Amino acid sequence: MDLVDSYVNAVAKALPEAQRDDVIGELSEDIRSEIEDKQKELGRPLTEEEQEGLLRQRGNPLLLAARYRQDQRSIAFGGQIIGPVLFPFYIKVLSFNLGLTFLVVAIIFTALAVSGQKLGFHDIVSTCLLQLFIQLSVVTLIFALVERNLAKHPDRWHVKGMSGKFRLDLNIEKDIPLRLGRNIREVSRFESVSIIVACAVALAWMTEVQNFPVLILGPAAAFLKLAPIWYQIYFPIVALTALEIVRAIINLVRPDWVRFRAYYGVFVQAAGLGIVYFVIKAGRWVEAANSGAGGTARTVEIINQCFLYALVGTAVFSGVMILIRVVRLVRQPHGQHGSASVGARAKEGN
Amino acid sequence: MWRTVCGVHYMTPGTDNHELFENLRLELRRGSLVLAVLAALRKEHYGYTLRKTLGERGMAIDEGTLYPLLRRLESHGLLVSEWREEDKRNKRFYKLSADGKEMLKQLLTEWQGINSSLNGLL
Repeated sequence: MDLVDSYVNAVAKALPEAQRDDVIGELSEDIRSEIEDKQKELGRPLTEEEQEGLLRQRGNPLLLAARYRQDQRSIAFGGQIIGPVLFPFYIKVLSFNLGLTFLVVAIIFTALAVSGQKLGFHDIVSTCLLQLFIQLSVVTLIFALVERNLAKHPDRWHVKGMSGKFRLDLNIEKDIPLRLGRNIREVSRFESVSIIVACAVALAWMTEVQNFPVLILGPAAAFLKLAPIWYQIYFPIVALTALEIVRAIINLVRPDWVRFRAYYGVFVQAAGLGIVYFVIKAGRWVEAANSGAGGTARTVEIINQCFLYALVGTAVFSGVMILIRVVRLVRQPHGQHGSASVGARAKEGN
Repeated sequence: MWRTVCGVHYMTPGTDNHELFENLRLELRRGSLVLAVLAALRKEHYGYTLRKTLGERGMAIDEGTLYPLLRRLESHGLLVSEWREEDKRNKRFYKLSADGKEMLKQLLTEWQGINSSLNGLL
């Protein structure tokens, strides 16, 4: 894939599907015509640096795509919090997170209903509202930070190494293999800042869950409690999350340490898999708060069964991810990222 | 007091005035771009040649502005477009529709009116 394809694909990823082919066909043609014109003028083919220069003049693909979109909605509260460039991604992330959260909530409530527990309308509404509030706050905060960063540094992007992938594209089934396969020259500062914020929120949440199991169990916390395994693995998980924050801070200062992040990713994933192994081995993940309650036993059984499926799925997914990361590390020649990145940064004056 | 305020104001006029001028200039140009595009499309063009033509006539426009504008004008029925192969590449050619021609005529009359009014004022 040449630089033009990479650029055009990066724009495509940020466009609605209905517009995509049309816009991309025309944009691609425009870029290639400009390159041809320059080549005629110079009497020779353009070098990769010259092509990169032409593409950089066209601007950040994310911003360019936003100009084509008809949807120009944004979120403002006094000043603009999330602008039209990021708004569609914000909605995508929020819908995905809320969808997933409400699915989990629905499973828990169904399990409770099936086991004969009495559920009040108030319980359902309060749980849904709490989850809505948490998701809305966290996702909005992260996107507001990204928006600020984008407004401050609209030119902080790289033509090389995009390979048509966008960090904000949430087409998960397509994105995961593409992300693993791409040749990144720098760790994006957006990514580092987002990870710091997300991990900090996760740490705060984990601390609160210890004291308020209602945050994870919802109204079921009245008759269910977390099994001891969660308290046993609390510190390892906190340590891993804290280490991830440290890693993101290091990459914020040294975005060219891409290989460091790759090794670190394998380590964190392997450690995570180890933790999942111990969690699976525990065999029970929730328990009845009052051992005498008969109907609760059935609820506990159903929820534990759901936990087992989820944990096994997580373990398989982690195992595959580790394998892919290791293969990628082995295939990639050592030092490729570091030296290329320094060169690229020097050229771009970053 | 008044002198100090004026002094401060005139200490940093360069960047402020330049920025203001740029904003006003862009605003002025933005209004004329539709007219320029419609006028250039009396003859059929594809995106890149249209951009070049406009640039050569002193109305340089970047593709992030031109293509969304072309789409908007087409959705209003002022332009018609078709994909055609030329030099072994697929290109989208635009030209004025019948409504576009009528609209251009009206806009030109309006523009000439504004122009003569301005000339009277200047």
